[in-house]
Amino acid sequence: MPSLDVQACRDRSGEFSAVVRALRERQQAAPAPAAAAARPAALSRHKEFMAVAKLIGRDISQTYSKLEKLTLLAKRRSLYEDRPMEIEELTRIIKQDMGSLNKQILQLQQLSRSPDGGKSVQSFSSNVVVTLQQKLANMSSQFKGVLEVRTENLRRQRSRREQFSRGGVSSNLPPSALSGFHQGSVLLADEAAARGDTVLELGADGQQQGQMLLMEEQDTYYQARSETMKNIESTVVELGAIFQQLAHMVHEQEEMVQRIDANVEDTSMNVEAAHSEILKYFQSVSSNRWLMVKVFGVLIVFFIVFVMFLT
Amino acid sequence: MAASLREKQVVAIKKILNLNAPLVNSSTTEPVWKVLVYDKYGQDVISPVLAVKELRDLGVTLHMPLHAVRNTVPDAPAIYLCVPSDDNLRRICQDLADNVYDSYYFNFLAPISRQKLELLATAALQANCAASIKKVFDQYVHFISLEKDMFVLRHHDNETTSYYALNRGDVKDTEMDVMINSMVDSLFAVCVTLGTVPIIRCPRNNAAEMVAERLDRRLRENVRDARSSLFSGETLAGGQYAFQRPLLVVLDRNMDLATPLHHTWTYQALAHDVLDLRLNRVTVEETVGEDERRQTKTKTFDLAPTDEFWQQHKGSPFPMVAEAVQEELDKYRASEGEVKQLKHAMGLDGESDEAISLLSDNTAKLTSAVSSLPELLERKRLIDAHTTIATAILEHIKRRKLDAYFETEEKLLSRAAPERPLVELLRDPEMGSAADALRLFLMHYVSAEEVSSTELEQCVQALSERGADLSAVQFAKRWRMYNRMPTSANQYLGGGTKTVNMFSKLMSQGSQFVMEGVKNLVVKKHNLPVTRIVDALMEQKSLPEVEEFRYLDPKLLRPPGSEAQGARSRNTFQEAVVFVVGGGNYIEYQNLVDYTKSKTGTATKRVIYGCSDLQNASQFLKQLGQLGTEMQ
Repeated sequence: MPSLDVQACRDRSGEFSAVVRALRERQQAAPAPAAAAARPAALSRHKEFMAVAKLIGRDISQTYSKLEKLTLLAKRRSLYEDRPMEIEELTRIIKQDMGSLNKQILQLQQLSRSPDGGKSVQSFSSNVVVTLQQKLANMSSQFKGVLEVRTENLRRQRSRREQFSRGGVSSNLPPSALSGFHQGSVLLADEAAARGDTVLELGADGQQQGQMLLMEEQDTYYQARSETMKNIESTVVELGAIFQQLAHMVHEQEEMVQRIDANVEDTSMNVEAAHSEILKYFQSVSSNRWLMVKVFGVLIVFFIVFVMFLT
Repeated sequence: MAASLREKQVVAIKKILNLNAPLVNSSTTEPVWKVLVYDKYGQDVISPVLAVKELRDLGVTLHMPLHAVRNTVPDAPAIYLCVPSDDNLRRICQDLADNVYDSYYFNFLAPISRQKLELLATAALQANCAASIKKVFDQYVHFISLEKDMFVLRHHDNETTSYYALNRGDVKDTEMDVMINSMVDSLFAVCVTLGTVPIIRCPRNNAAEMVAERLDRRLRENVRDARSSLFSGETLAGGQYAFQRPLLVVLDRNMDLATPLHHTWTYQALAHDVLDLRLNRVTVEETVGEDERRQTKTKTFDLAPTDEFWQQHKGSPFPMVAEAVQEELDKYRASEGEVKQLKHAMGLDGESDEAISLLSDNTAKLTSAVSSLPELLERKRLIDAHTTIATAILEHIKRRKLDAYFETEEKLLSRAAPERPLVELLRDPEMGSAADALRLFLMHYVSAEEVSSTELEQCVQALSERGADLSAVQFAKRWRMYNRMPTSANQYLGGGTKTVNMFSKLMSQGSQFVMEGVKNLVVKKHNLPVTRIVDALMEQKSLPEVEEFRYLDPKLLRPPGSEAQGARSRNTFQEAVVFVVGGGNYIEYQNLVDYTKSKTGTATKRVIYGCSDLQNASQFLKQLGQLGTEMQ
């Protein structure tokens, strides 16, 4: 849908500033107005907080633009325009950025817990932290999506290359990939054991020279691909860790589906109920003369007993 | 497709929250953290359309009521959204004196007068912070969009413009003025948000006419004022109907008293009637526990635009809703089963031989399952919510025999004789509460051609035996004398119900909705008076009721007061905005929606329904009672 612009307002700021100017001239003769109410200077920590928050916000938006570029690159499907080095580079940078952003946001959260300023400032700070976390979470999931697209494309390219080149290596993954680290792909490791033998056998099978060369070429190509896959795997795993952390932090403050009038009604209802209860109690207490008599009676009895006990 | 009223209002509000700058839809911009301060009117406007999450997305990290105790938040711009009343302005001036925020963006829901602007400027100068007031805007968004084509004017303070307030015997002219002006303000805001100058039609000699005349004057003044007209962009609007102006029909509640008292059968209208539905939020009371330790818990549910089940079924008759909930529950269980099965399958597949492709497939399936888990949870939550709501409604129906009432009323409206004579029905203590009986009788009384005095006496006696409050009947008598429109014999065309016996497939499926003894009534389409009038006006048909309607066109160059004789547009209208002065309800809204749906094809019509406030039947009955007691 094309973006709407609805002109449902009228700007009175010009009028306002004209009025201010006119009044100011009129007031020139009158004594100078009192200085602005002094704000407590102890909000320096809050200023620090805001400065850091601004930095983080700017970093997030920059990382976002990098991510968009990566998305464009990863979506390319043609065999010959592929620029693996650039994609690798970008992926690495973005991964680093996300890690550092994560740390920065944690630090910011520490800062926000300072008992500075009033309640408003505290809730403001915590909400800022939550919003930044959510933005980071969104970006991470988008990043994951892009990596998945990239993996998909790699696989497709590989299968197409196989079609074109009749080298006939029938395995789907080269041995070097399988010897990489397997933190997230234990199942692949099993495959490796089964697969590795067959490939090596094929390789050592005394084929013609041409085919050997071809296979070597393919090998290096496959190695490059496998490096990429390895990196993608590790990135996804790290992302998973970040996700968990973020989910934990975001869950701490859940206000996903609330509306702004939710608590107000609750509170006013509770306050009214409490007020009526107190009134009732007050009435019962104040109109209960017998209560006074009873209280006095008990006190006197105790006094007498006490006195008699002592003497 | 042209945007709906609610979408346009949301765009306007988002612009406000973006510090009055046009929205740029990109995530690469730096976030700016803001504080939102609102009064109760601002709260009403924002709360049905923007949830807290969306506010956070726009950068609003803190939102507080205007009159609460607020502490300083430095370094953040503050956005104020309120009406420029004296109380609010006093509080704002106090804020300025206390120097609570660094920069201020004032958005007033109604245009602020020159004096108040000066007051604000004086306060700013005294506090020496005139430079921190960045913007002052008049926002024309002072109405509440409940649905994408339904709006209400007020929620808080809706007694000031209710049916009772408008029709009281002792209403003073000044009070009437104030009420009419507030309605005109909001209607003007609706026109500005839509961006078009409509053609206005209204009946004569009642409050609707006054509203329409003043609105016409206001629109004319604004269009003439070339420098600051709010409608200058009208001819540039995109869409097919750029040259078509919509029709604004202003009607008065007095024209049709029967519909607000009607017992209804569609989901949304039932929820409004039987439960507490306000600003798209339902409060349901559940009794948990055995008889001795009964605890009533109240639960609230938000019926948001993202709730697909609600959007699809809010206009369906209740039995269909029950079936649909059952279907949804089955579908949900099936998807849940799939996910569980996948989990099971993952454990087994690791040892097979052809694993790589299968593995990637499984990974893909697993990731899709993982990402669909929150979706599933959301669906479960919605199904639970609707189950609770529907069960509560069902309880009420069974207890008060609302289905029998509905059937009887439909028969009455279509001039068929009811199964049992009316007096017997009113006397029967099993049929619902006294208020229900009163409603039935009043409906009959205000819509029947003739009611003999003996019948009237008998019914009144039966009602007083039941303990119903009879002052409303007094008022109805007077109303009948003055306001009854000559009803033609087929006023409620085509109504009538078929009673289908309830051996439903629900019972065979063992569902929770055991609707024993509740008749499965199938509603045939019929048109309420409001719909008929709108249809006649849009299609330029001539009906006896419509003949006398006035025709007001703010764009015509004529001095106000004279009637435009031949300058009427002869085209049929494709868009209409219907406004009912004195209270509306979901029944009329649903009827209009059905009418719009039935007109698809080459002649698609869009009708927006609005009213000064939403009354359900019991509230309306109370107002009629008050009017009746005052008469005596």
